[in-house]
Amino acid sequence: MIGILQWTTLAVCGIVAIARIPSALRGQNRSVFFVYALMTLVILLSIEAPYMAVDRALGGTNLANLVLRFLIFAAIFLLGLGIARGFGAEDAPRRITGPIGMVTLGTASLVIVVVFLMMDTAGSSTGLVSLATKDAHHAALVEYYGAAGRLYPAYVMLALLPAMLRTAASRLPGLLRLSAGLMVVGTVAITLSLLSPVIPPSLGILRFIFNYTAVLCLILGLALIWLGKARASRT
Amino acid sequence: MPISAKAFQAWLQGAAPAVSTADICRISGIKRTTLAQQLVRGKVAETTLVSISRALHRSPLEDLSSFENYAELAGRRQPPTPAELVSQIATMDLLRAVIGRSEPERGGRGSDGIPPAGAALSPAPHATAVRNWVDAIDDGELRHRVSAATGVAPQNYSAQLTANRMSPELAIATARAAGVGLTGGLVATGLMTEPEAGWPPGAKQSALDALSDGELTALAGERLQALGKALRRQEQEQAQTNKIWENLG
Repeated sequence: MIGILQWTTLAVCGIVAIARIPSALRGQNRSVFFVYALMTLVILLSIEAPYMAVDRALGGTNLANLVLRFLIFAAIFLLGLGIARGFGAEDAPRRITGPIGMVTLGTASLVIVVVFLMMDTAGSSTGLVSLATKDAHHAALVEYYGAAGRLYPAYVMLALLPAMLRTAASRLPGLLRLSAGLMVVGTVAITLSLLSPVIPPSLGILRFIFNYTAVLCLILGLALIWLGKARASRT
Repeated sequence: MPISAKAFQAWLQGAAPAVSTADICRISGIKRTTLAQQLVRGKVAETTLVSISRALHRSPLEDLSSFENYAELAGRRQPPTPAELVSQIATMDLLRAVIGRSEPERGGRGSDGIPPAGAALSPAPHATAVRNWVDAIDDGELRHRVSAATGVAPQNYSAQLTANRMSPELAIATARAAGVGLTGGLVATGLMTEPEAGWPPGAKQSALDALSDGELTALAGERLQALGKALRRQEQEQAQTNKIWENLG
C-alpha cells in the first residue's frame, strides 16, 4: 500500500517534470519546472531503495537525508512564491520573501543542521528510523529534526492558505478553482503532518498518507493549471 | 418540475401518432441520446417538448399547458405589461433608440419621424433578459415571495439571474408571485418565442415608443452601467487567470 503510493507519486511527478523540459528549455516559467524536478528528487530520496543507494554513495552517514530536507525547502520556496504571485494579492509574495518568511526558513535550516550534527548519523536509514531506535537521546533529536523539517513547508502553505481558499471560491474557470482546491487539500495534509510525533505507531501509515497526499495534491494542482493554460492557448 | 415521461409519451402519441422517434429527433433537432436519456430517467425537459411541438407546427404554449403541472398556463391569458416588454429589449437596441431619437441626421428618426429601415428590435431573449425581466416586475418583495412559495433560497435565485437562467417552473412561480402574465418568464428564459407566448407582434416596439426620452435614457443608462460592471468583472477575472497562468502554468 505504502509502496504503491510512493511509486505512483514518483511516477506522476517524474512524468510531469519530463514533460516540462521542453518549455523549460524555451525559458518559460523555469521555476515551475524546478518545483517538479525538485519534488521528483524529494520523492526519490524518500523511497527506501534509492535512498540507500544515494546515501551509501555519499558516505553512509545519512547526509542524503539532510540534502532531502533542503530540496524540500527549495521546492516549497519556489512553489510558495509562484502561488503567492499567482493566487495572492500584491503583498502575498512578501510573506515568503519578507522578514518572517526568511526568519522561519533560517531557523528551520539552522535547527536541522545543528541537530543533524549533534546526532551520530552513521548507518544509512530512510527517514532516520534506525537512528531513533539507538537511544532516548537520539529518539528525541530525530523528532526535533523532523519537526524543523516540517515547520517551513507548513509555514509557507498556511501563509498562502487564504489566497488559495479565495481562488477556490472565486468565479474563475473551474479548472483553476479545482487546482486551488487541490492545493488547499495539500496544505491541510502538510499541516496534519505536523502532528506526526503524536501519531501512535499503530497508525504510522497515516504519516505516509499525509505526506504523499500533500505532494500528490500540490503536483496535480500545478499540473492542472498548466493544462488549462495549454488548452486556452490552443484555441 | 419537468414533465413526466409517461405523460410525455401519451402526448406524443396524440400529437404525432405515425412519426418514429428517429424522425421526431431529426425534425426537432434533439439528439436521440438526449431524448432517450430523459425518457429513461422518467423526466422530460420542457425545452424538449417545446422543440418537438414547434417542429410539428403546433402551439408550444398549448401543448405545455396540456400537462398537469403546467395546466394553469391555459387559464387566464394576461398580456405582458409595458415594463416586461421593455425589459425584453436588448441593451444595444435601447441604445440605438436613444441615438435614433436624439440624432435624426445620423440615421435616427428624430422626435417625430419614421424608424429607419432595418432597425427592427432583435427577438427575445437577450443576454441579461432574465434579470431584467425580474427587475421589471419586482415590487421590492418579489424575491422573498418567490422564495417562500417555492423554497428556492434567495442566493440560488440570484445566482440563476446572474447566469441568465431560470427553470420554467420557477419562471412561472415568479410571474405568479408578481401577478403578471405567466408566460413572461418563459419568453425571458428563451423557452418560447414572443409570438409563441402570445405576445402581440410589435408590442415591444410600441412599449419602447411609449417611453419618454427621459425614461428611455435613464433605462439605457442603467443597462449600460450593469453591462460595464459585468464586463469589468470579466476583465478582472481574465487578468487574474492570466496572472495564475503566468506564475504557475
